[in-house]
Amino acid sequence: MNSKADRIILILFLLVSAGLFFVPGFVESEYVLRLITMVIFWVGIAGCWNIMSGYTGYIDFGPVVYFGIGSYVNAIAMTKYSLAFFPSLFLSGVLSAVVALIIGIPTLRLKGAYFAIATFAFAEAMKQITLEFDRTFKVSFFQGSDGITLPISGYDNAFFFYCILPVTFLVMLTHYFIEHSKFGYGLKAIKEAEIGAEISGVNTTAIKLRAYITSAFFLGLFGAIEAYWITYITPSEVFNVQKTVQMVIMTLLGGMGTFLGPIVGATFLTLLSESLGTRFVEYYLIMIGAIIIVAILIMPSGIIGTLKIRKRLRFI
Amino acid sequence: MDAVLVQAIINGLLLGGVYAAYSAGFSLIFGVMGVVNLAHGELIMLGAFTSYWLFQFFNLDPYFSAPFAMVFLFSFGYLVQRFILNRVMGLPHIMSYILTFGLHLMVANIAIKIWTHDFRSITTSYSGANAAILGLNIPYARLITFVVALFVTWGLWFFLMKTETGRAIRATAQDKEVARLMGVDIRNIYAITFGLGAAITGLSGAVISPFVIISPEMGLEYTIIAFCVVVLGGMGYIPGALVGGLTLGVAQSLAATYLNAGVSVAITFIILFMMLVIRPTGILGKGNIA
Amino acid sequence: MTGLKCDKISMKFGALSAVQMVSFSLNPGEILGMIGPNGAGKTTLFNCIIGILKPTSGKIYLNDADVTGMKPHKICRMGMAKTSQIMQPFMTMTVFENVLVGALHGAQLKMGQARRETEKVMELVQLTEHADKLSNSIPVPARRRLELARALASGANILLLDENMAGLNPHEIDEALKILKKIRDSGKSLIVVEHIMRAVMGISDRIIALNYGAKIAEGFPEEVVNNEAVIKAYLGEKLSSLKVA
Repeated sequence: MNSKADRIILILFLLVSAGLFFVPGFVESEYVLRLITMVIFWVGIAGCWNIMSGYTGYIDFGPVVYFGIGSYVNAIAMTKYSLAFFPSLFLSGVLSAVVALIIGIPTLRLKGAYFAIATFAFAEAMKQITLEFDRTFKVSFFQGSDGITLPISGYDNAFFFYCILPVTFLVMLTHYFIEHSKFGYGLKAIKEAEIGAEISGVNTTAIKLRAYITSAFFLGLFGAIEAYWITYITPSEVFNVQKTVQMVIMTLLGGMGTFLGPIVGATFLTLLSESLGTRFVEYYLIMIGAIIIVAILIMPSGIIGTLKIRKRLRFI
Repeated sequence: MDAVLVQAIINGLLLGGVYAAYSAGFSLIFGVMGVVNLAHGELIMLGAFTSYWLFQFFNLDPYFSAPFAMVFLFSFGYLVQRFILNRVMGLPHIMSYILTFGLHLMVANIAIKIWTHDFRSITTSYSGANAAILGLNIPYARLITFVVALFVTWGLWFFLMKTETGRAIRATAQDKEVARLMGVDIRNIYAITFGLGAAITGLSGAVISPFVIISPEMGLEYTIIAFCVVVLGGMGYIPGALVGGLTLGVAQSLAATYLNAGVSVAITFIILFMMLVIRPTGILGKGNIA
Repeated sequence: MTGLKCDKISMKFGALSAVQMVSFSLNPGEILGMIGPNGAGKTTLFNCIIGILKPTSGKIYLNDADVTGMKPHKICRMGMAKTSQIMQPFMTMTVFENVLVGALHGAQLKMGQARRETEKVMELVQLTEHADKLSNSIPVPARRRLELARALASGANILLLDENMAGLNPHEIDEALKILKKIRDSGKSLIVVEHIMRAVMGISDRIIALNYGAKIAEGFPEEVVNNEAVIKAYLGEKLSSLKVA
């Protein structure tokens, strides 16, 4: 047990988190604050994907669905039922988790590509349903492609920074917990050999479901926060498969099933897209494609995963 | 039966035949290598563009450009497998999904760079012409494509069943270690398989070019339909692509006729999800479960 | 009664009967050998007992409780574990962590207790020296013991060992047999599937023989190996007249 390196990482993680708490007080530029917020936001979201797919090896191609559900629950609760933001935020997380429970039970029996395609299909189906529901049933609920405008918050970027930071902190704390708990060993055992795990007493169904629901709960929170932040949502935007792709690629670049993976991957890619994406718009996606291919070919375990193997590091 | 219903079913079958043709390659690639090819739609796009440019420059009929599309995409697919995908074949399958996704991004966006976002179409002498039979309209182009599609799917099946290479491919799909011991060059067979899958997909792209909108961004939609067709028919089971294609074609056509086009897309995904959860081996129950 | 009792278990895959009406029981503290040619249905029978497969018909009782068709993790927690013929260690985990999974999830111990239990088990099967190595980096005999350790750590009283000595040399087999005896002496019962006759003969209190999915003989080791049907099954019709003394 590499408990010394472990403790150092935990302390560093807590220090950085605590340090981040003071960032809005020091950063003058709205642009920089917004950028830092985006990085933390993506670390959290990539982390959600890592909790489920990184640790169990079940590749979820539809995590964005829980982000979208969170956005819509929040939007509808605030506009149609005049709920205040924080109760509405909590409700968004809970309902995302409930949907994950209902969908997870049948879906998590599937393996490999079947699970990946099923999750993808569910996410796209939800997008289409929110788009077409009102028109088909002659009601005004999801407001289809017109989208929903949320009440203007009147809050500045710092407010949203303080909404996002604790959620990301909790997501990463969950990672740390996974690395050190019975639950985490169960997840990793499933990834390595599911039948082997089952005959060693791991309740594989329950453990996978727990990871799936946890991930959905946090994604629901992120979706709700973003909806309130940008104040206008449409199905094509919140259920955009591009978000899924981002989560997957960030985690993969950083290292699947590692604590630092989503942090490194999301920071790297967010900053990259910020610097290249604006300057070389036309070539940006070509470059991302090339980076993905090269990264997989030279370090299939991601940056942290490769470090872990080379340096025989453990809990990072 | 009323004419609207019959027309909807016929439209669905014509559509489904095409779905079958371009999904067969997807199924083949999954069945042999376990690769979910997320760049599948780009193969169709490249096939369609091959036909488009041959038509523009040489006024070659889209149906006659099919062999060129096949050769071009066979080479493309062979090289992709040989130099990129083969390197991750022993790793978890997600690596191949992500690699093909990277490929999708690159190919689609390079195509945008070269050919812009413009929508294009090929206007032939028979574009828009219909055969009127018993009060039903059957567009010539779709009918020809339907026949070609059936022939292609059958041709692929025949190739796999009756030729030496086909046998080697099937042996590799069943047990690559044993195939290796029997002297099959696995890496070469993988490359040939991907090339073959790409070739018939490119061919499909060429033969649908007379009646679809051609643009560098057309790919993703086709990838998703291929997903659905292949799941319905049973993943990795080639004749299943026909069953899946026809089923999906008819379902979509009925939904579009009686509801609206948006609902038809929703139904595609709901069918896909339900099918995976309830019967992942496909309608015929012959898909291979990893 | 404590122990395991199988009552007329059959397992069909389509038209193929992999296991046919097999009944037997395992008494506490007993080592039961199971022999039979390749394809006799031994692994399938194990998979039915442990819950990986649901038998087509028949009942399995563990300590008098009907466990037929239960999920493997439940059966494991009720005190029965299996080691696989094809080793499935959790590759990227250390040897210690592999065993820890059994103690945490199978025996349902708290982390601290689970660690102590893991250490104890690792000492019993002589794995302590490998504790911090990755499980895919240790030699085959150690990997075989790792499978054993994981099963033991899950708190099982009944262990099903599917060719746990495959790939070992004679010296390693002797070592393995010593460990199995130690495990038995600590109060566990074992079913041992093995091709190596010397190993099965040396350790088993009783032996049952399977062929084409059916039980063809049961009894003390000497009885079973001299049984006509068993010899036929192993050597084929023509050679059966040669009689093994």
